[in-house]
Amino acid sequence: MVLRRTRPLKHGKLTTITLSLVAGILLYTFILAAIGVSPLLTLSIISSSFISSGVIKDFIVLTVLGYALLVAFKGSLWNIGAEGQFYMGAVPVIYLTTVAFYTMGSVSIAQSILVITGSVILAIVFGALWGAIAGAIKAYAGVDEVPVTLILNYIAYYLVNILILGPFQGKYVYGYKRTDLIPEAYQLGIKIQLASTGNPIIDGVLSYVREMIIFGWWLLGLAMVVFLVWWFFNKTSLGLKVKVLGSNPDYLVTAGWDVKKVTIATFAISGAIVGFMSALYLLGYLLRLEYPIEGQTAGYGYLAILVAWLSLLDITLVPVSAYIISSLTNAGIAQSSSPEVKQFLTQAGFAGAELSFRWVMIGSILLTYSVLRFLSDYEVRVIRK
Amino acid sequence: MGSQQLELVLKDITKTFPGGVIALQDVSMKLKNGEFIALLGENGAGKSTLMKILYGIYTPDKGSIILNDEELSIRKPSDAIRRGIIMVSQSPQLIDRLTVAENLTLGLENVKPFAGFSRASIMIKEYSMKVGVKIKPDDKVWSLTYTQKQLVEIVRALVLGAKILILDEALTYLPLEERKKFYVFLQEFKRKGGAVVVITHKIPEALEVADRIVVLRKGRVSGELTREEATLEKVRELMFAEAAREITYERLPSSVKGERPVIKAEDLWVQGDFGVPAVKGVSIEVKEGEVAGIAGVVGNGQRELLEALIGLRRIDKGRVHIDGVDVTNKGIGNIRNMGVGFIPDLPLRYGVSQDNNIIENIAVLFHREKFVIDWDRVQGLTRDIIKTFKILTPSEFYPVKILSGGNLMKVVVGRELNYSRRALIAYNPTRALDEITAVQVRRIIKDKAMNERIAVIFASEDLDEVYQLSDTIYVMNSGKIHGPFDPETTPRDEIERLMVM
Repeated sequence: MVLRRTRPLKHGKLTTITLSLVAGILLYTFILAAIGVSPLLTLSIISSSFISSGVIKDFIVLTVLGYALLVAFKGSLWNIGAEGQFYMGAVPVIYLTTVAFYTMGSVSIAQSILVITGSVILAIVFGALWGAIAGAIKAYAGVDEVPVTLILNYIAYYLVNILILGPFQGKYVYGYKRTDLIPEAYQLGIKIQLASTGNPIIDGVLSYVREMIIFGWWLLGLAMVVFLVWWFFNKTSLGLKVKVLGSNPDYLVTAGWDVKKVTIATFAISGAIVGFMSALYLLGYLLRLEYPIEGQTAGYGYLAILVAWLSLLDITLVPVSAYIISSLTNAGIAQSSSPEVKQFLTQAGFAGAELSFRWVMIGSILLTYSVLRFLSDYEVRVIRK
Repeated sequence: MGSQQLELVLKDITKTFPGGVIALQDVSMKLKNGEFIALLGENGAGKSTLMKILYGIYTPDKGSIILNDEELSIRKPSDAIRRGIIMVSQSPQLIDRLTVAENLTLGLENVKPFAGFSRASIMIKEYSMKVGVKIKPDDKVWSLTYTQKQLVEIVRALVLGAKILILDEALTYLPLEERKKFYVFLQEFKRKGGAVVVITHKIPEALEVADRIVVLRKGRVSGELTREEATLEKVRELMFAEAAREITYERLPSSVKGERPVIKAEDLWVQGDFGVPAVKGVSIEVKEGEVAGIAGVVGNGQRELLEALIGLRRIDKGRVHIDGVDVTNKGIGNIRNMGVGFIPDLPLRYGVSQDNNIIENIAVLFHREKFVIDWDRVQGLTRDIIKTFKILTPSEFYPVKILSGGNLMKVVVGRELNYSRRALIAYNPTRALDEITAVQVRRIIKDKAMNERIAVIFASEDLDEVYQLSDTIYVMNSGKIHGPFDPETTPRDEIERLMVM
């Protein structure tokens, strides 16, 4: 007998995520097998993606953005605008590092710290403000936040594109439509070389270590975000209000709280976390913006929606969900560029369709998401008579 | 329905909720066509759980449901509906944007295309005439009153072919006169071969309408009485055992009113839900230590008045002062911050957040000053409320949605009574509570007024409650207020006359 659960299963969320992951991968493998790609090849690419150090960058970005969206989603506020908040966060970073304090030479440590800190703080403020706009429109005009945040994404794209073509246009880019590179003095990356040992297992572990050191600042930022989000929901009155807002806004009103203010604050916090990640991404990896901006971040803002959903809004499961999504998207990209796959596709009449593989993968996950929710919400019971 | 024989047996039903709460243990009960059963019990006795099992909302851990010697497998409400078993709860489950006819047609199987609307329209016209509650098939559900919505729910049950109609506190929030009309209608349904199970806390009504009374206590059947055997005392004893002696409707001692008014309203004009004035020039003053009760038939502006006083409803004209501060249209947040408790109409909808646990529901009201919550303080407070009001829960971290309706109401009432430092504004403060808890709540309210000098204003359709608790009585009728009256000297029939004139 299938029944709706009155209470979630113990460890049920982790189990259902695992099951849905397996189901999603099998479905994806099956789809590709149907057009002639060997299941063994698909599974080997996917499994190597899961243990590849290459997923660390995406894992950190998606975890932070996943937490940003979880904050809003917990309040039943559907912030689909992480993309826009991400790019608005990039604006002050590019301005401070490549326009206001651009340098070709060396600068003092104090200036480096000030510019980096200022960039991060302003990115947080810009992300928060961009989020708060959507919150204010919902709170005061009653407009649904989903179309609003989506539209704000496009407005952010166009605004940033205009800035790249105008005031942010680089002076040392040979006429390309891009900003100057962020000077080394303001970069957050850590450079490291680890010599190969010749042992594939040790080298694999070392490559993980190397990536974690390179993205050390990001990991620190991630740890801060995890702690702050946990603290926000478990210790603060605003966090509690967000949870009640997601469950019964009428009670929040009766308890004497201003739902409008809570809505705007929630969007602002969500946007602030996105802005924070945007600063880290710009200063530690992207280092410049290029026209057109739309394709530069691999759609992190949208993938983060999937991360938040897959975590079932459980704070502890966001990193698990982010790791799965980043591994699977990387597998999709790896598969797109695999010569064997290209050959299979050409033979099957799908030449040139490689890039869409990532989205087939996402589609498979979305489909399995319903399995996940079902298993989480329902139980199978035997009745004794 | 016809005269087809029908015998339903619930046999050895056992149900345990997460956290080890035993809701039902080996409960058996029989029901035949042409029978009207009242299912009674104190809060958390398992009445709703038993009926939800019959309706397929919950599944029993053990036990069986047998209809005419055939064992049923009821996994979900649609299984029950197919067997003619339909439950109506206290919260209407209608879609507000659709019309009455559209709502009635939803869920109808095997109707010819376009035929459902006309059938539903005919039925709603017929039943609205029979019950005496005006409803048109084209009315949008959002524009209906609570009574009208409940009638639509019951008509929907009939449209769906109900043979066994379960009313889980479905009539509790209706005014007495309208409840009586519904009972007449249900008796007719019974005479035509249907069976009715009513869950209620109103024992005198149950004695009047039911052929048989089944009483549950702590998840077990404590007794069954026929109409002839049943008396108020016997039922109370089955419900509460020796604790039944605590039930009293004697007037509680009068408070000594202070001089300073805490709640003061002058010439208030407030609109109702549909844009017409619901409160018309009401002036009222409640002093420190005073308990003011507003008697009145539901829908005469009491709800709107109380909502305006707490800051939930816009005041078109007039002023409200709390503790001498003008709070007119200043919003509920400011008034709550002054230490004013509020028990709303429809507490399940406006008074709790069901997905959160008990402690969170309490913290969200109490924690107002600092950004970081002092959970130790809130936990202590929550445990006090659970203990004082005997809330049946394994812990304060139990999700509110799993509590029984009565225990949920205790969370709301306990929280608001504790929160009231200067005043309490309450709408039907003891509705959905069993008699013992209701008396206990009235005593606590009175104690707070007398000892902590809070001002209390409450509205209730239960005149016994108004007389037992109030130091001053007002009557509200057609948006206007009459009074103040002294309960010691004003006869009941005088108040009743003003309520319906």
